[in-house]
Amino acid sequence: MCKEGGGFITQPVLVSAAAEARNSRRRRRRRRARRRARSQEKEMKPRAAGAPAQLKRKNMGWKKRKMGRDEKKMRWTGPRLPSALRKELDAHKGGAGGSDDGSGSDAEERGDMYEYEEGLPEEDTGKNRRFDPVENLEYELPDDFKDENLPSDEEAGSDADGSDRSEGGGEDEDRHLRMLQGITGMPGQAFQDKRKKETVFTDVNGADGGATDISIQDLLDPLHGMPGYSSLRKKLNQLEKKSSAVQAPLPKVERERLERKVAYEHSKKDMTNWEPLVKRNREAPTIYFEEDKDIGFSTVGAIASEFQPRTEFEKKMALLVGNPEILEAHQKDGSRLLELNKISVEDVKDRQNRLAKMRSLLFRHEMKAKHIKKIKSKTYHRMMKKSKLKATSAEIEMDPEAIREQAMKQEFKRAEERMTLKHKNSSKWAKRIMKRGLNAQDEGSRAAIAEQLQQHALLTRKINSMKDTSSSEDSSDDDEDDDELPDEALSGGASKLLTRAKEKTLKVIEEEDEMPKSGVLSLPFMVRGLKKKNEALLEESRVAIQEYDSSLRQLDNGNKTSTSELCASGGRKVFGATRKETPGNVDKVESDDIGNSSDSEAEFNIEKSAQAGDKESSPIPGAQLHSGLSKKALVENKNAFENFDDINRETGPKTTYDVAIFVSDSFKKIDTKNKVDDTRRNSVTAPEDHSLHQDLAAVHDSDMDSDEEMVDGFLSSGAKLKYELPSQADLVRSAFAGDDVEGEFEKQKMEVLDEEVPEPEKPVLLPGWGEWTNVQQKKGLPKWILNEHEDAKRKREEALKKRKDAHLKHVIISEKIDKKADKLLTKTLPFPFTSKEVFEQSIRMPIGPEYNPAISHSALNRPAVVKRPGTIIKPIQFEEVDPHEKSSDVKQSRQNPKRNKAGGKPGKASFKGKKAKV
Amino acid sequence: MVLIRSNPFRFNRMPCRPGRVEPCPERAADAAAAPRTRARCAPRCSKTLFSPPIRVVLLGGGSLSSVPAPLPATHRRAQSTSSCDVTVSGSMKVKVISRSTEEFTRERSQDLQRTFRNYDPALRPQEKAVEYTRALNAAKLDKIFARPFIGAMDGHVDGISCMAKNPNHLKGIFSASMDGDVRLWDLASRRTVCQFPGHQGAVRGLTASTDGDILVSCGTDCTDFVHLSHWQFMHGSMLSGTFQSFGERVFIISCHVIILLNLILSVKDYRAVDHQWNSNLFATAGAQVDIWDHNRSEPVSSFEWGKDTVISVRFNPGEPNLLTTSASDRSITLYDLRMSSPARKLIMKTKTNAIAWNPMEPMNFTAANEDSNCYSYDARKLDEAKCVHQDHVSAVMDIDYSPTGREFVTGSYDRTVRIFPYNGGRSREIYHTKRMQRVFCVKYSCDGTYIISGSDDTNLRLWKAKASEQLGVILPRERKKQEYLDAVKERYKHLPEVKRIVRHRHLPKPIYKAATMRRTMIETERKKEKRRKAHSAPGSITTQPFRKRRIIKEVE
Repeated sequence: MCKEGGGFITQPVLVSAAAEARNSRRRRRRRRARRRARSQEKEMKPRAAGAPAQLKRKNMGWKKRKMGRDEKKMRWTGPRLPSALRKELDAHKGGAGGSDDGSGSDAEERGDMYEYEEGLPEEDTGKNRRFDPVENLEYELPDDFKDENLPSDEEAGSDADGSDRSEGGGEDEDRHLRMLQGITGMPGQAFQDKRKKETVFTDVNGADGGATDISIQDLLDPLHGMPGYSSLRKKLNQLEKKSSAVQAPLPKVERERLERKVAYEHSKKDMTNWEPLVKRNREAPTIYFEEDKDIGFSTVGAIASEFQPRTEFEKKMALLVGNPEILEAHQKDGSRLLELNKISVEDVKDRQNRLAKMRSLLFRHEMKAKHIKKIKSKTYHRMMKKSKLKATSAEIEMDPEAIREQAMKQEFKRAEERMTLKHKNSSKWAKRIMKRGLNAQDEGSRAAIAEQLQQHALLTRKINSMKDTSSSEDSSDDDEDDDELPDEALSGGASKLLTRAKEKTLKVIEEEDEMPKSGVLSLPFMVRGLKKKNEALLEESRVAIQEYDSSLRQLDNGNKTSTSELCASGGRKVFGATRKETPGNVDKVESDDIGNSSDSEAEFNIEKSAQAGDKESSPIPGAQLHSGLSKKALVENKNAFENFDDINRETGPKTTYDVAIFVSDSFKKIDTKNKVDDTRRNSVTAPEDHSLHQDLAAVHDSDMDSDEEMVDGFLSSGAKLKYELPSQADLVRSAFAGDDVEGEFEKQKMEVLDEEVPEPEKPVLLPGWGEWTNVQQKKGLPKWILNEHEDAKRKREEALKKRKDAHLKHVIISEKIDKKADKLLTKTLPFPFTSKEVFEQSIRMPIGPEYNPAISHSALNRPAVVKRPGTIIKPIQFEEVDPHEKSSDVKQSRQNPKRNKAGGKPGKASFKGKKAKV
Repeated sequence: MVLIRSNPFRFNRMPCRPGRVEPCPERAADAAAAPRTRARCAPRCSKTLFSPPIRVVLLGGGSLSSVPAPLPATHRRAQSTSSCDVTVSGSMKVKVISRSTEEFTRERSQDLQRTFRNYDPALRPQEKAVEYTRALNAAKLDKIFARPFIGAMDGHVDGISCMAKNPNHLKGIFSASMDGDVRLWDLASRRTVCQFPGHQGAVRGLTASTDGDILVSCGTDCTDFVHLSHWQFMHGSMLSGTFQSFGERVFIISCHVIILLNLILSVKDYRAVDHQWNSNLFATAGAQVDIWDHNRSEPVSSFEWGKDTVISVRFNPGEPNLLTTSASDRSITLYDLRMSSPARKLIMKTKTNAIAWNPMEPMNFTAANEDSNCYSYDARKLDEAKCVHQDHVSAVMDIDYSPTGREFVTGSYDRTVRIFPYNGGRSREIYHTKRMQRVFCVKYSCDGTYIISGSDDTNLRLWKAKASEQLGVILPRERKKQEYLDAVKERYKHLPEVKRIVRHRHLPKPIYKAATMRRTMIETERKKEKRRKAHSAPGSITTQPFRKRRIIKEVE
């Protein structure tokens, strides 16, 4: 409120009081007043700037009594005075103010003076009655003063009283004057003067502002003409001059700026009032803009009761429904209703007939189906099957999908066949027939067996033809083995084989000794891993060589002593770690005759497959098998076994044995069978024969001895042979033989590295690719291919060296980015969330209907803004909001805040109740 | 005792003859010994009552009738399913599963079958994956169903310059064109309801009172003679000569009669007009801002601050005594009618074409700027924008808030309409068609469901505010499903796949190119700034935040 400047100084008190009251009406009024005041001020300024000297002159001979009135007159006529005079006047007035007390009172006094000045001319024109009260209301505001608790409370009150008297009592005084005149007969002037004087005095007593001014003059006037008077007056004048530096009015720009500032402050305050409401709306999980439409009905019945038929159809319906006869019938009992509800006999009959027909049709269909199912004729069913097959085949031809399906089916059948060997005369029936002998059977069963076999052959053959890659490879491998091994067996025998094996192992050892000096393998952990591996290999190979040697020696001995024996003897089938001995056994078996059956073949096959990885697969020429089972060989089996046992005893202590054990009686059966179908067996088993001998040998052994003892003998002999106290390192190694943690980890790391930085593929020789014909063959791979390979290798090494875990022994730092997982991760933390945990928490619970009950489901999925298309949304309306209120209540519609009160609507409530029950 | 545990319905169909139910003693004994060896005992007494599909457990002794039947997990959860005893003959009890009919009978055939679910999270370990996939699918479906354009309304013969919505009537919208044609449209039928002749030149501003009875238009007529007219719609039966109808529908829609109520002629140039909410006052902008009353031919008051032309004016709907204007001196000015003085001025680097107050937040307004951005300000703190909304590539011509206050629509000189969230820096949606030219005015419908744009190609276009929203009546189940999909989408919107699909828009080539170029420019500028900063003394160069950068000063 400093913008009023010095111009109108009573204002501060008033405005501050009004601000507390927050009465805008009053504020506006005050503004108006302020403006007026400002204009007065403008008017005043030139006067104020006028000459004080003149006033001095004029004021000299004035009487104290007349003082107030004269002054007022002067003020009013101010504009017409010459400037010098005005200056004088101003100085005089100011001097009076300054002489009394501080600037505050001075200001008030001036303010009062202005008021008076403006009031007087009106008074003179006779309009004062109308004007004065308004002025008083404006500027005195007794209530406000009370509110302010100003120190001058009583004074203000008295002042107000006084003013009241002065204005309201105007009429009274007039009357009083007239009365006085009448009583005394004196002219009214005298009384009037007196009254004036009185008013002055009241002023002096009441408002100190106006009174002091006059009182100073009063004090000064009596001193007029006295010795020190002029000096005193000068002093007073000086004082007054100093204090009365009236500020120049602010330029318009400045003033407007201030006004704008105030206006902005006010509008700011108004806008701030909205803050809690806006905050509440913003923070609400859901804001509703739906209008609650009050239809006026709460139930369906209420709506229906109001229904009036309008269209013709509705009217017809109403006519029927509202038929008094029916209504009456309803009200009384059902019998009348039945009468009304007549149905014609024909209708009923019709319906019954229709139903019966349908039923009979259904029944017939059912019967037919049953009948067909019951037919026992095979030909009929065959025909049916054929026709069905035809249909399906026709369908298959049309549809590639069906073809594939069919193929799949076939494949499945074959696989099943291979697994079950269903058609290989393995069934009970077939076995029985076989037992009896085929010759004893009639033609039909013979044919059936033949057919079965054929089917089996068909199915298995088809396997070979279908599975072109893997199975054929296998078979070819087998063939190779078959080709090679017999040759070797023929030419050199086991000793050669053994020496070759030995050489090979030695070579391997030598190869492994070389350590890679560059590349990935030169990395420290790789090197360590390789070393470890090599050591293990070396150990193993050393053992193997020893065994080779020993067996070679044995072989030599055996050859020298009893070649014939060996030839006739059958070996024992040994698996697993005993493979070193097998070459030795092989020879013994050679001349062995084989009795086997198709049954045991399968088992042999399995055993063979277990042995497949071994280097030494036992070679047996198929031709030798043809020499029948000689008695002599059987007799000598025992010797052979002893021999074999010796061999086993001599082998190292570390070997363990798995022994095939057969129940004796089954093999007797085999023997008998051998005689029966010798020829057929040969033809069937020829390709697989090479593995049979061992098993056979085992069979014969088992014939003679109890198997379990044998097993025990093997094991015990192996354990007891040589025992040395193991060293600490050995102990530790054996204790942790199973878990080589470091090695495993290194292996794992290598795998990870290989996966993340894959090794470049070895350059493959592609004839004619990138080179002229024949050139490549001579020079080997073209240079650029080699270079590229080298380059790739180098790059890989670099990449590996650059890895963070290159020099960290026990750490794998994966640098792979999983692209699939990448889709499910955010790169940065989404905006409103402050931490990863909060974000994850926010999407932790599912919100779907499968995971949440119906009630909470709808609450979980509620959108942020609920509005209904077609509902006009009105701008926000002010409502008081408690800022500390919880946001749970925010749910109510903004559109109609009364909803809470109307919450007890019957329709809604009942609906909700129903839902809650669910 | 015979305990039967089987499908109750199958049991019901079984012929139930008491004479044959007696269990043979040996069988009973057998079953008691090994209850599951039905296969063994079946051939021996094959002519029993029970057909093979029924699992029969025979128990000796009378105390075994209360053996609890181990039910499958799903049945265990369903509370309504309970086992009860059915007495077949006098001597035996048969235990069957039964359900109460009340809980499983539908009242009407349209009712849904009640399902009972087990909400045990352990049973559904894949919930997150499922919901993520749903979100992804929902996002894709949204893209498929995004058909925002409803229709164009043609009739004007010159570019649309301004529009006004009838706050009291959802279907009505007024539009005015550069040739002085003012029309009332029916949005539902997309046809002109009536025309208001009177203007000879371009109409610049159009507004309707809150009750929709009075339309105020202003414009510069070609003779620099300005024209401010009131149209009043009165309910009555009189037809005046100025009323033209198109089609029979008009008579149904508007039984109002339009009278040229008051024609105010002045020599001033009016550029914009806006009506105060719920009162008789409206404001015009031109050389100065004038406040008018419906019933007076002279302005009630007028404001002038600076000598530049004021080009737009907008009342605050929440706090009706506040209004803002933007002027050609690049300023935005705030006025307070109660104090009858301007309050504050903000000068930006470029001109503001239009302003819109947030109807739900009376302190916030958004200014559509010539520099192709929109700036949201808090009127109390004008020294910085609260949010800068950028995506347009040319000047933003008009802006209008959704009545929900959560988003606003902008029309731009780059021939597109965009929808922004009120607090988001990037647009949510862009609408464009091949034929739509410079957009001069946009409006949100009063229910926040549609958007109307008026462009240079003389057409008004009606759009959906949500591109893939289903129009028409939606069943509660559909609505719930949609809500769920929206919620899931909202939940997984931060994941890259969902985000990518939701954000993807096909843009017209020029706009795409312009956007790319803008990006490049901004990036270059940023880089340069960075380098400059790096190569000068530390602290000598300060970068201002983007929200402050375009503000020159705030004038008191």
